[in-house]
Amino acid sequence: MSRHDLLAADAVAPAEAKPAKARRRLRTTWSLRIGVVVLALYIAVALLSLVWTPYDPLTPGVGDGYDAPSWAFLLGTDRLGSDMLSRLMMGARYDLGIALTAVAIASIVGTTLGTIAGYYGGVVDTVALRTVEIFQAFPGLLFAMLVVQAVGAGLVNVILVLSFVGIPDYLRLARAEIHAKKSWQYAEAARMVGNPPWRVAFRHLLPNSVGPVLAFTSINAAFAALITASLGFLGLGLPPNTPEWGNMIARGQDGVMTGQWWVSFFPGLAILGLTGAFYLMGDALADLTDPRRRR
Amino acid sequence: MSTLLEIENYSGGFRSETGELTPILHHVSFGLQSGAITAVVGETGSGKSLVALSILGIQPSSFVRRSGRILFRGVDLLGLDERAMRRIRGAEISMVFQDARAALNPVFTVGRQLADVYQLQHGGGRSAAMKQAIEALRRVSIPEPERRARQYPHEFSGGMAQRAMIAMAALICEPSLLILDEPTTGLDVTIQSDIMELIVGLCRQRGLTTCLITHDLGVVAETCDAVVVMNAGRIVETASAEAIFTRPRDPYTQRLLSASQLVEAPA
Repeated sequence: MSRHDLLAADAVAPAEAKPAKARRRLRTTWSLRIGVVVLALYIAVALLSLVWTPYDPLTPGVGDGYDAPSWAFLLGTDRLGSDMLSRLMMGARYDLGIALTAVAIASIVGTTLGTIAGYYGGVVDTVALRTVEIFQAFPGLLFAMLVVQAVGAGLVNVILVLSFVGIPDYLRLARAEIHAKKSWQYAEAARMVGNPPWRVAFRHLLPNSVGPVLAFTSINAAFAALITASLGFLGLGLPPNTPEWGNMIARGQDGVMTGQWWVSFFPGLAILGLTGAFYLMGDALADLTDPRRRR
Repeated sequence: MSTLLEIENYSGGFRSETGELTPILHHVSFGLQSGAITAVVGETGSGKSLVALSILGIQPSSFVRRSGRILFRGVDLLGLDERAMRRIRGAEISMVFQDARAALNPVFTVGRQLADVYQLQHGGGRSAAMKQAIEALRRVSIPEPERRARQYPHEFSGGMAQRAMIAMAALICEPSLLILDEPTTGLDVTIQSDIMELIVGLCRQRGLTTCLITHDLGVVAETCDAVVVMNAGRIVETASAEAIFTRPRDPYTQRLLSASQLVEAPA
């Protein structure tokens, strides 16, 4: 909403301002609803897989190899005869868990460092920015591949690498936000009543940047999910039999050529749905966290 | 009457990026009497706001002091470190800014911001602080303070926001010195006089030492005890309000008065 709209909304009677508000609210609600529902579905499936899956996802040969989708195997079986649906459900645990954990670590560490750099400026700022630029010179996926190769595959390493890849973006985002806002008058007013610097930075300025950071968090989560799958696809992530969606696509890619499309298609669809949900939520969250837009 | 704050021979200027010093303030000296309302009057750019910011130690970082002291209860504020200065800010000296809506944090409710400051200054629990916040809003004549406390700054008009800032600076902080930097500039004329009435009422009632920075002599005439006239970074005249309006000595003061059309140009 532009400044002009805000002023106009202030001036006119509430009844006249209503249509614009209602429209904004509806849009926000729909993208948020879809995003939240899809994400909740993924979380529900991931949790369900802890207690129930149609077959054991890790056992090969529950069906024949490459069974087409049927009532017995709703999404078919893969080359080794493992049930696709069971593996897909268990995969939600890996892909969702890795993405969310990595994003949580990256956002907390990155935002904290960025806030410090942005508020204190000077040498701290310069060192932080230059360091971050060095890491950002490498594309995220390439960097993740190199590090996973170097330190070895495995769940913890993949999470740590993904967090590390995310930190620079949060640092830059938070740094830019805080840097722009630290000379605003409410920051001055906060200092004026005797707030120590860390309180001004974290309690007064950072909450003003929650919108952009949250919006970016969702996009970053989508990115983290994609890199997780990419590492899996390239055989660099988790052990080969892990039903991580990237692994599953890799295992099914021979089948695509010979007509067994379902082995790669369904994990791909799962990744698409997850990233899509994150993107929708990011947009909606950016709107919702700004009280001037909330109205 | 004793002097609460004494500015002595304060000079300084802005250092440009090339290292040149542009002098802004020239030997500024004046005192604020305890319990009195002192106006600092001057045109835009005369350095009056800079002096006010200097009292609280928040002058722009490019400002370089060349000489002078700012004595508050006999202690030089310019010699205090950041930690000691923080104990002065809010608790001893607080400030009301020109644009109250910009000085309120857009993401917190007004009540919460006042409550936060109350907790910072006086401690205590969240709900007790919120009660104090609502009480303070009531005392500055904000209607329905319970409802208003739950609103965000963008839902406040300029005048209401200024009332809330005054509540924060004067009632929540309970300072000994209140500085108001152009508190009525940018408000409607009728609201200006309401706000000034509120400020004067609060200050008189609580015996608060007040420094009112303004370019509006009309405001000064009705309310202030003493007047300091500044022009181009210099103090040109310091006198009681009555003396300024009846017997202005300095030619600049005379020009200012005749321009404001409050009094007949002196014969």
